[in-house]
Amino acid sequence: MNPQASEQLPPQMSTLAPQVDSLYYFIYYISVISFVLIVGTMVFYVIKYRRKPGVKAQPTGHNNVLEVAWTVAPVFLLVYLFHAGWQGYVFGAVAPSNPLEIHVTGKQWTWDFTHMPSGAQESNALTVPVNEPVRLTMSSADVLHSFFVPAFRVKRDVVPGMFTTLWFEATHTTDEAEPLTIFCAEYCGATAGISAEQSVALNTNHSSMLASLRVTTREAYDTHVAQLDGPPEACVAEADPMACWGERLATEMGCMGCHNTTGAAGGIAPTWRGLWGSNRSFTDGSTREADANYIISSMMEPQSQIVTGFTTANMPVYAPTENRKLAIVAFIRSLATEGQ
Amino acid sequence: MTTEATTAPSAHGADAHSDDLPNYLTHERGIRSWMTTLDHKRIGLMYLASIIAAFFMGGVMALLVRTELLFEGRTIMNADTYNQVFTLHGAIMVFLFIIPSIPGALGNFFLPIMLGAKDVAFPKLNLGSFYIYCFGAIFLVVGIAVGHVDTGWTFYTPYSARADNSVIWMTMGVFILGFSSILTGVNFIATVHTMRAPGMNWRRLPLFIWGIYATSVIQVLATPVLAITLLLLTMEKALGIAVFDPAIGGDPVLFQHFFWFYSHPAVYIMILPGMAVVNELIGTFSRRKIFGYMFVAMSSVALALLGFLVWGHHMFTSGMSEYSTMVFSALTFLVAIPSGVKVFNWVATLYQGSISLASPMLYALGFIALFTIGGVTGLFLGTLSVDIHLHDTYFVVAHFHYVMVGGTVFGFLGGLHYWWPKMTGKMYDENWARVAWLLVFTGFNVTFFSQFVLGSQGMPRRYYDYLPRFHNLHMTSSGGAYILGVGFLVMAVMFIKSLRSGEKASENPWGSAGYEWLTTTPPHPHNFHEQPVITRGPYDYHLCTELELFEGHHKDFVASEAE
Ligand code: HEC
Ligand SMILES: [Cu+2]
Ligand SMILES: [Cu+2]
Repeated sequence: MNPQASEQLPPQMSTLAPQVDSLYYFIYYISVISFVLIVGTMVFYVIKYRRKPGVKAQPTGHNNVLEVAWTVAPVFLLVYLFHAGWQGYVFGAVAPSNPLEIHVTGKQWTWDFTHMPSGAQESNALTVPVNEPVRLTMSSADVLHSFFVPAFRVKRDVVPGMFTTLWFEATHTTDEAEPLTIFCAEYCGATAGISAEQSVALNTNHSSMLASLRVTTREAYDTHVAQLDGPPEACVAEADPMACWGERLATEMGCMGCHNTTGAAGGIAPTWRGLWGSNRSFTDGSTREADANYIISSMMEPQSQIVTGFTTANMPVYAPTENRKLAIVAFIRSLATEGQ
Repeated sequence: MTTEATTAPSAHGADAHSDDLPNYLTHERGIRSWMTTLDHKRIGLMYLASIIAAFFMGGVMALLVRTELLFEGRTIMNADTYNQVFTLHGAIMVFLFIIPSIPGALGNFFLPIMLGAKDVAFPKLNLGSFYIYCFGAIFLVVGIAVGHVDTGWTFYTPYSARADNSVIWMTMGVFILGFSSILTGVNFIATVHTMRAPGMNWRRLPLFIWGIYATSVIQVLATPVLAITLLLLTMEKALGIAVFDPAIGGDPVLFQHFFWFYSHPAVYIMILPGMAVVNELIGTFSRRKIFGYMFVAMSSVALALLGFLVWGHHMFTSGMSEYSTMVFSALTFLVAIPSGVKVFNWVATLYQGSISLASPMLYALGFIALFTIGGVTGLFLGTLSVDIHLHDTYFVVAHFHYVMVGGTVFGFLGGLHYWWPKMTGKMYDENWARVAWLLVFTGFNVTFFSQFVLGSQGMPRRYYDYLPRFHNLHMTSSGGAYILGVGFLVMAVMFIKSLRSGEKASENPWGSAGYEWLTTTPPHPHNFHEQPVITRGPYDYHLCTELELFEGHHKDFVASEAE
């Protein structure tokens, strides 16, 4: 349930929010009191000492005690404010150990999120679990952006060429119909990279760089992330969506830089054409049938069994999510039949 | 301060035949005599005309912005145009209006007169500064308008670096304007040091001069940093040397450091002159010397110096190290102290005064109220954890408008009303002036108070569009902007009427003890007929003669006094 917004501030939805708010309202009351005292005194004097015929102004005296008093008195308040603000800032700057990690990329004008360790991705929408510290590691693909969630009281610039981090712990789940909003708070323009006409047509600009933020239970979060980790939309209509996804992954993850699917031998890595189900022989003299387990272990522990005629030095270690492993297996399996 | 009896070198005796005396407006005529004038008063008036033109342009942009934000989605323009319009609004208001407003127009006109000097130390340089200002202004406006600049007045890299080269033109414009500021600053500093009339020691220096003096020091010291920034930006764009653009190995946060290292002191370039004017207004209209004169003078100097140490408070969310953040927050709080000292002293000055609510004083009192709000909301922004929430939201927009408009613009308008009779020789309609004040004061508060609430609720700034929940407050804010617009319109008509058919102003219509009122109205081309000798302070009302204090009032003013 989303909590109610207070008079001036958005609903408190993170562990940081109550701290920030109590300081905010403290300064607010101090401000109201100071304003009433200063302007009240001013108005009072203006009325009391308004110009009257025959009444002259008294010459101004000196009062160094008064001067020093009102120079020094605010110092105590200011030191307190500084200290309290610094404490809240440190709380917000240092994440607790073992937070849930999410990587964020800001680019004109979308937010991309990658859940760790699964690598599951979503754009312009983010789901996080409740009551768990979450740390965002953020970078920008183009210009400055700033990640801002008012309900969490967090904000951090997203800078190209550098990583900034931010953490929060949500304290309430959100209603399905009322997700929170992630804003971009650093001006990022409307036309850089695209023409003015395009920008008008797309109506994308700094103010449209919003993403929705859902806070769910841990179970719902896990389900959500697992769902994210599936074949992309373009593959769903294919006869074998997993193989289609696997083909894309093989390119994205860089496998195709060394392996090929043409059946050509003699490259730096064995071809995947006809690999599925074939009998492999290794440098230690053992042999094995290329099944799903074999392909997965080749990815995750390439040095455990080295195919005769190759060195493992070249093959990096990969640890994709379960679903991604299966997709690559499906892809390699599809190469056993296709075109043969 | 001085116990000597007054032998003020007034021109009271000249009253009867003041029509025959030459004045700076009429002793030479023709456009040429204005374009080539070395008279600081004429240069001041030319500045006045230019900054009013700039204010008008910036104001129209502001109204366009507020109109677009009346409703969600597109109202009158697309996002791209909107971004250019708010860029124009910010750049024009900051660089063409606020920074030169008080020093350029009022400072030029009154600094030498208040010092009892004939002119500034370097009259030719002064005219040069004015032309440099005009040149820079054209560069800036054409650069933005033709070059399609939509970066906001802060032109942060890498966004600004990726657009085409027009940002270079715009920064070049700002740089040229900066030159004008530096030269004016140097000129004023030299004038204050060398041209004071006999008898004017530093303790008799009007607080207006102290404020302008402190401002000049900042201008001379801070503006070169802007030049360096521009140079680096140009080198990056033209020669591909990586400085700010991360795509080629630069650091975009470095640009923010450079920018604010200039622009925060620039905030004091903007506000100190406003405070300086308010000192004069409070003194004159309560007939008292400013309480704690030296504390007030020194607080200007303190603000000028502290202003150089707090630039990082604009960057609490940019990814600076935690320790720099801590230091900048602490230093920022220090700024609150001299600002507070000024406000307390102004209020204390009213105590046991003889207070008149003439229109200039209304602006001064408005200044105190609005600046207080601007100041206390600064506490929210200096407090780190709270700033993280409020940074880059409408709260910041509201805060700096309270300081810049509620502060500087109110100070400027107060000064304009106050010195108008001296500058033009004409009175204006006091009632209409008060109506305009009420409209401006109300409109301003409606516009910007709602923006504090918007910001606290999480509305980011520089947004073309907004979520439905922000609609009501945006509507209110735009409504306020229209009231503000009407207020300025009324004021413009009031001043134009005064120029055409205003009643003739006397030498000292407000009954001020200030030195600038000792000369004829409008002033003699050389300011004074003979070298004045200063024998009392500018606020020594107890040493003024009855004649000085009660002579020649505007008729409304006399009427309100008789009640
Ligand atoms: C830097 C080059 C390189 C990259 C990139 C690479 N591999 Fe390999 N791979 C090799 C080499 C060399 C071998 C043979 C030696 C061995 O068995 O470890 C190999 C062997 C394999 C085998 C066993 C092949 C066989 O014929 O029995 C599989 C399966 C495999 N890689 C899958 C992958 C997948 C999946 C990826 C991408 C996620 C990938 N490889 C990326 C170089 C690479
Ligand atoms: Cu953005
Ligand atoms: Cu600042």
